[in-house]
Amino acid sequence: MPDIDENNVISPSEFKKVTEELYKRNLELVNLYKKVDTLNQELGVANTNLQDLMKQRESLVHLVTHKVKGSFTRSKYIFAGILDGTFGEISPIIKKYAEQGLESDNMGIETVDLVLNADNLQKGTIKYDMQKINFREITEKVVEEKRIPIEGKGLKLEMNILDGAYETIGDAIWLKEVVNNLLENSFKYTKEGKISVTLMNIDKKIRLEIKDTGIGITDEDKKNLFTEGGRGKESVKVNVDSTGYGLYTVKLIIETHQGKVWAESEGAGTGSTFIVELPIA
Amino acid sequence: MNPAIQFPQIAIRIIREQELVIGPLAWDEARKVEGLQIIDEKKGEIIFKDEDQKTVINKLVAQYERIFGRASHAVCHDAVIDLIKNMSPEEIPSSLK
Repeated sequence: MPDIDENNVISPSEFKKVTEELYKRNLELVNLYKKVDTLNQELGVANTNLQDLMKQRESLVHLVTHKVKGSFTRSKYIFAGILDGTFGEISPIIKKYAEQGLESDNMGIETVDLVLNADNLQKGTIKYDMQKINFREITEKVVEEKRIPIEGKGLKLEMNILDGAYETIGDAIWLKEVVNNLLENSFKYTKEGKISVTLMNIDKKIRLEIKDTGIGITDEDKKNLFTEGGRGKESVKVNVDSTGYGLYTVKLIIETHQGKVWAESEGAGTGSTFIVELPIA
Repeated sequence: MNPAIQFPQIAIRIIREQELVIGPLAWDEARKVEGLQIIDEKKGEIIFKDEDQKTVINKLVAQYERIFGRASHAVCHDAVIDLIKNMSPEEIPSSLK
């Protein structure tokens, strides 16, 4: 396009050339605008469809999980009734099967709760009771609760709490769930060796490290570790009941507490370290 | 469709499409076309005076083309493509064929 100098008079032919050129440029802009507008409309439709799908998924998750949980709960009370003598004396073989049934139902209920919690945390329907709490007390409590099953499996459980400030603003119930979930994870994926729980202050933050000598994490599995339904290839071999919702739940809770969670591992068979960082109150 | 309704529709469609490119100038140029009277820009109301309606459309297309060149002619044509597709060849204004 020719340069226009406002102080100079341009010839009619130049004026026409400039006008036509400007028209073409405007036309290009109009065409671009129309394309963007079409894309926006398509995006709007896709967004609406996605929102509808998410609503359907949510109600399906709730329907299925509540139904499944209801079934587990009913059979749990039947097994519990058999074991506590409600239906009269039972033979050792029936006792054995009833104990297995009860354990299986408890696991089922735990799994359903995990999925439901993850779903509610994701939707933001869970209300956190945020208060000044002592994360050291929570960690110590969970570790002591887990000591018997962990040591019963032949694993060594170490707890090392360094001097520091461990008060944070958070919901004690959900932060306990985090520690419990991570420790349970190490317990499930460690056949022999030890689990070390360390609490310290780093960079003015509370840092929890749960280190195990378990199956470790491959680089490929690290990508899916904290995702919804993400299960590692190796972990499924060790724990067939893995739901893939445990670490996802941990991540959702920690992020709500303005913290960070991640895992470190040198690879398969080298153990794992799960690290949580929370702000000091 | 009744040409009495169709030709005003064609004119409106052309002016509106030109408006997208050149803004309110499109209405100013349309006002200069003999045989065409703008009643209400916002509502898109126009009337044809007694003159042959096909001729008025041709004049409207030519008005834009005279100033803005061939590209504006293509814009006029594309703007009414769906309106003229069911018209018989003799009904279609020559500028839009």
